[in-house]
Amino acid sequence: MKREFEVTQETIDRYGVINGDRDIIHYDAEYAKQRGFRGTLAHGLMVQGYANVVAVDTYGTNWMERGEIEVKFVRPVFPGDTVTVDLDDSSGALTASNQDGPVMVAIATLRTA
Amino acid sequence: MTRPSDIKPREGEVRGTRYEEYVTHDALPELRFTITPDVVREYAEAVDGDPAGYEHGGDKVALPSVLAPYLMAVLYRKYPPAQGGIMASNVFRFHHPISAETDTEIVADGRIEETFEKKGRKYVRYSARFRTAAGDLVAEAVNTSTFPS
Repeated sequence: MKREFEVTQETIDRYGVINGDRDIIHYDAEYAKQRGFRGTLAHGLMVQGYANVVAVDTYGTNWMERGEIEVKFVRPVFPGDTVTVDLDDSSGALTASNQDGPVMVAIATLRTA
Repeated sequence: MTRPSDIKPREGEVRGTRYEEYVTHDALPELRFTITPDVVREYAEAVDGDPAGYEHGGDKVALPSVLAPYLMAVLYRKYPPAQGGIMASNVFRFHHPISAETDTEIVADGRIEETFEKKGRKYVRYSARFRTAAGDLVAEAVNTSTFPS
């Protein structure tokens, strides 16, 4: 199962509203550049949310009762990126990638009932 | 309805916790909040999920990761955040569906698991458990984040 998600400052801001944070690394491009990034950073949990959407699409609502996901964030996601989430349901290997390569790697599996 | 912003201390509101102030094995106090259909819908829209919820046994249920916006509140209620925190890794285990149609009261708690330094960065790892008000385990999580000195 593979799906693409478009990331913009608007989508980051929208996630920030439900997330309820004020961490300026997500909203202040100048601050983010001072920290060495090329722009504001998407929330890691937003990208992980994309993975959950793909997991539900793959495993159905078994995911709600037996789903397990272990993720490692390996590269930031910036406004303008397209994140492709690819989940191999036979192994549970999940990769979220942008144009530069993997941004998040994960194992997303169902526990045995 | 409990929005994450209602219960989550936010960056810049109070002095952020310094790395040295995190106490390994410290218990994170109980946190109660209510996930409403509006929160379920708004979260789903924010991650390109189905705002109407997902069919499960004749009911509509939420993306289980609707708990994610509340995750850091478990930590931040005791250890207010510094600006510039970056998430390194996460584990979520889901056990019990959350309704997309009715309110669900959640009781969360947690614990600081460890602090450590790696490649010049300072990390905090903590665990959180989310239960219904009746005591059913909904989800468990372990978060690792790095915070600037």
